[in-house]
Amino acid sequence: MKIIACIKYSLDVSEIRVNKDTTELSLAGVPKAVGNIDGNVLEAAVAFGEAYGGSVHGLSYGPSQAKEAFREALAMGLEDVTLVVGQEDEPFNPSVTAFVLAEAIKKIGDVDLVICGEVSDDGFTYQVPPRLAERLDLPQVSYARSIVLDGERLIVERDLGEGAQKISSPLPALITVTEETNTPRRPTLMEAMQAKQKPVHIWDLKNDLGLDDEILEDKEHLERIDTEGVIVSRKQIKLENMESRELAEKLIEMLKQDQVIEGKSS
Amino acid sequence: MIQGQIDILVYSENIHLQAELLAGAKLKTTGKVALLVMGRAAGEMDFENINADVIYQIQDPALLKFNPEPYTDALAQVIKITNPRLILFGATKQGLEVSARLGERLGLGIASWCVDFNFDESGKEITAQCMIYSGIGLNRYRIKTSPAILTVAAGVFETDQDSGKKPPLENIEIDLPDPKVTVLEEIDKLSSGTRLEDYKVIVDVGQGFENRDDLKLAEELADLLGGAVSCSRPLSSERDWFPEWIGLSGAQLSPRLCFTIGVSGAIQHMIGIRGSDVIVAVNNDEHAGVHLQADYGVVADLYDFLPALIEVLKEQKVGLA
Repeated sequence: MKIIACIKYSLDVSEIRVNKDTTELSLAGVPKAVGNIDGNVLEAAVAFGEAYGGSVHGLSYGPSQAKEAFREALAMGLEDVTLVVGQEDEPFNPSVTAFVLAEAIKKIGDVDLVICGEVSDDGFTYQVPPRLAERLDLPQVSYARSIVLDGERLIVERDLGEGAQKISSPLPALITVTEETNTPRRPTLMEAMQAKQKPVHIWDLKNDLGLDDEILEDKEHLERIDTEGVIVSRKQIKLENMESRELAEKLIEMLKQDQVIEGKSS
Repeated sequence: MIQGQIDILVYSENIHLQAELLAGAKLKTTGKVALLVMGRAAGEMDFENINADVIYQIQDPALLKFNPEPYTDALAQVIKITNPRLILFGATKQGLEVSARLGERLGLGIASWCVDFNFDESGKEITAQCMIYSGIGLNRYRIKTSPAILTVAAGVFETDQDSGKKPPLENIEIDLPDPKVTVLEEIDKLSSGTRLEDYKVIVDVGQGFENRDDLKLAEELADLLGGAVSCSRPLSSERDWFPEWIGLSGAQLSPRLCFTIGVSGAIQHMIGIRGSDVIVAVNNDEHAGVHLQADYGVVADLYDFLPALIEVLKEQKVGLA
C-alpha cells in the first residue's frame, strides 16, 4: 500500500495585519509553515499505514524554502517528502496546484490512497482536493471522520455539515480530513532525531515533471485584479478595572444608549 | 426547453441558500435565471415562491443520496444542455466538493467564497470579490473561463420575500454512469434543532468555558434575551459539546446583539459573527484580539462577570429593544 499525504507550506493567517489607512494587507514577515490541518492529514496517513501496512510519503507544491519545514512531518512517520518547487505560490490558483500535484502523483506511481486537508487556511478555496481527484479519475471522499479498510474497500464516515454519511469506496481513492478527524500525534525526541536523516526530494516543474510555464499559465483560470484587507470598524470600547457588578451595569447602560436593549418596566 | 440564453444557473441543496442565491442572481442580471433541483428535493418541493425564470429538475434515484460522482455527472450534462454564463453554488460542504470536481472536469474557473460579483458592460466578463486568508482579505478576480463558477456562503445575499412566482418546471433526463463510491448509509446528524440564523441575540462561547456544565451561564443569558447559544469550532471538534459551530467553516450569523465569551478572536471564528450589529466581547485577557473586533470589550473573568450581568439584567427587566 502506497499512501500520499499532501501537505502545504502556508501562511500563518493569524499574523496577517490590515493597514487601517490604506486597507492593504501586510504579508511581509508573516511566517510560513506546514499548515495546521496538515497535522490531521499526516496523522490519518500514518495511522492508516500502521493499521494496514504500507509506506507513507509526503507531497508538497511550494517555494524552495519549504524544504526546511518538513522535519516535524517526517518525524510523525513519513518515509520522505517530495517538494515540487514552484514559483512563490499564489494561493488563488487551485487549478494549477491540483494539476501539478496530479502530475507528481502520476510520476510517483502505484499510489493507493491520497490524503489531503479539506482546505488550507491561506488559500481557503476547498478546490484542490476535488480537482486533484477528478484529474486522477479517483473516487473522492471529503471530510472523513473515520477511515477503515475492509477487505479491498475503504469504509469512511464523512461529515456533510447538515448530515453524515457512511460510504464504501474502492482503492485507489482520495480522502480529505478535517480538524475533527483525529488528534495529531506528537513525535518523540527519538523520532525527531531520526527525521533529520529522512530525505526531502526536490522536484523541478520542468526537469522532473515536464511542465513549462505555458502549460501552467493555461491552467490559471482566475486573474487577480486587486486585494484589500477587511477593516473591522467596531467601537472597541474597553470596560475594565471594575467590579463585575459595576461592569455589568456600565455595559447595560451603554447597550441601552445604543438602543439595542431596553428596560421593560420602569 | 426555455427560449433564450440562460444567464445564471443556481444550485444548492440547502433551501435557504438556494433562495439567497436566486435573489443574488436576480440582483445582478436582467437575463434569465434558472434553478436546478435534484436529489431529495426533486419531486418534493412545491416550487411556490421561487424567484427564477425556469426550474430544471432531475429526478433520478442515483441522486437521492449525495454522491459527488453522479452529482458531477448530472451537473456537467445540465450545463451542456442549458449553456449558462455563470453557475452559482452554495458554499456548503456538498457545494464546495461538487463544484470543484465539476470545475476541473469542464476546465472552468471557480471563485470560492464570493461576497460580490458583477458582469462587465459587455456582459461577457465576470468579476468576483472573494474571501482569502480565511477572511482577513478580499481578492477581486476576473474569471477567465465561460461559464464561470462561484461559490457563495449563506448570508451574502438577502432573500426576496414572497416573489409570488411559480416558474415553469422542466424535467431533464440524463444518463448517469455507476459511481465508484457507494453511499451505505445517511446519518441525520444530531442537530441542536435551532436555526441560529433566526435569533436576534447570540451568546457565542469559546474555550474560556472550562466545563460543559458552565454553559448554563451562557444559556441563562441567552434565555433572558430570547437568544441562542453558539460556539467556536474547538468546542465542537475537540470537546464535542455542540454538533455545530460558527465561523468561516460553520454558520455565519448577523444578529442584533452578539455576546462572544471566552473567545480569543481568531479570524476563522470572528467571520461567523462579524455581521452582528453590536458585539460584546468578554475575555479576561486585556490583550485578547477579540476586544479589537468588538464594540464593547469587557475585561473580566467570565465566571464572575456573567452571574453579575444576569443579575442586573433581571433586576432591570431588560429585553431586546
